[in-house]
Amino acid sequence: MKFLLIFSSVMRSEEQIVINSHLRFLAACAMITLLAGCASPASRQELVVEETSFGTRHPYSVFVIAGGGGETDATGYTNISNEDLEGAIKESIIKSGLFSSVAKTHDADYKLSVNLVSMSKPMFGLSFTIDMEMSWSLVNTKTGAAVMRESIKSSHTTGGGEAFAAVTRIRMAVERAAEKNIRQGLQKIAGLPLN
Amino acid sequence: MIRRERTIHVVLLLSLLVLLHGCAVNKATATVDQTTDLSALKMFHVKKYSKDTRDTNVLIENKLTEMGFHISGTETEVDAIVTYVDKWWWDITMYMLELTITLRDPGSDFPLATGHSLHTSLTRKSPEGMVDEVLTNIFFSDEKRGADSDK
Repeated sequence: MKFLLIFSSVMRSEEQIVINSHLRFLAACAMITLLAGCASPASRQELVVEETSFGTRHPYSVFVIAGGGGETDATGYTNISNEDLEGAIKESIIKSGLFSSVAKTHDADYKLSVNLVSMSKPMFGLSFTIDMEMSWSLVNTKTGAAVMRESIKSSHTTGGGEAFAAVTRIRMAVERAAEKNIRQGLQKIAGLPLN
Repeated sequence: MIRRERTIHVVLLLSLLVLLHGCAVNKATATVDQTTDLSALKMFHVKKYSKDTRDTNVLIENKLTEMGFHISGTETEVDAIVTYVDKWWWDITMYMLELTITLRDPGSDFPLATGHSLHTSLTRKSPEGMVDEVLTNIFFSDEKRGADSDK
């Protein structure tokens, strides 16, 4: 009888250990899934081109509009919102002095439209390479003539040592690729003979 | 013992909730560049995506024909070249997760218009449905965001 009681007690404690370990495993799985899926959107500040000047100052006002971006879901992929893309381009223009002013309404000398056409979305790996394409068009609002129509492609790779979390490395690659694209776009505009 | 079982059920439900959380995402956007006049585009060539093994190009061609456009087998003498990227995913069966279709200028490769749809597993659409959604958004949606938003 005493043997049976001891045996039963040992069995119960072993069962409890197994259940506890299962609970810990499930909790860890839930935590990993949560952490792995926590994608964050590209930061507007990281997209701004920190260039003091492109060597040109067009004496005109420009209205900027951006599209093709989107929101970032916590469990989705890092994306660039239209508002952040637009804001970063405007801020880059203001910082560089590329145009005399950035208009808040359509009533400007030029209208710049930038659309995020495509962005690669690598899922696995230590280093992440983001390839991005944006369409840039600049129209003289008085004449309606398109003075620039360019497909600009950019790319950036973040290495495995640049950040611990994969989602952070992806966000960094997206931000750097977008910043490069904005830089190239503004450099092309700087080379245009506007009048 | 009952309390322990209840705890297990709660943890299992939470795990399932976390796993399924991202399974019902829908996104459909389209942008048309300010310099593009879509009404001037009549003849298209659909360029097959190099990684496409499911003939999505045929679905796009069929839909464009159904919409009244003409399809050319070559890239010459067309109003726009249609490029696309389709991404497939597995969840019990394979399904089209994402589709991006871009209309490009035949001479400069400039993206005239782009449409993108994403439907995760619980709101999955057939490949034909995805093609239909993207092309309809490009050509007919009033909610395009971007350079054409005031058109």
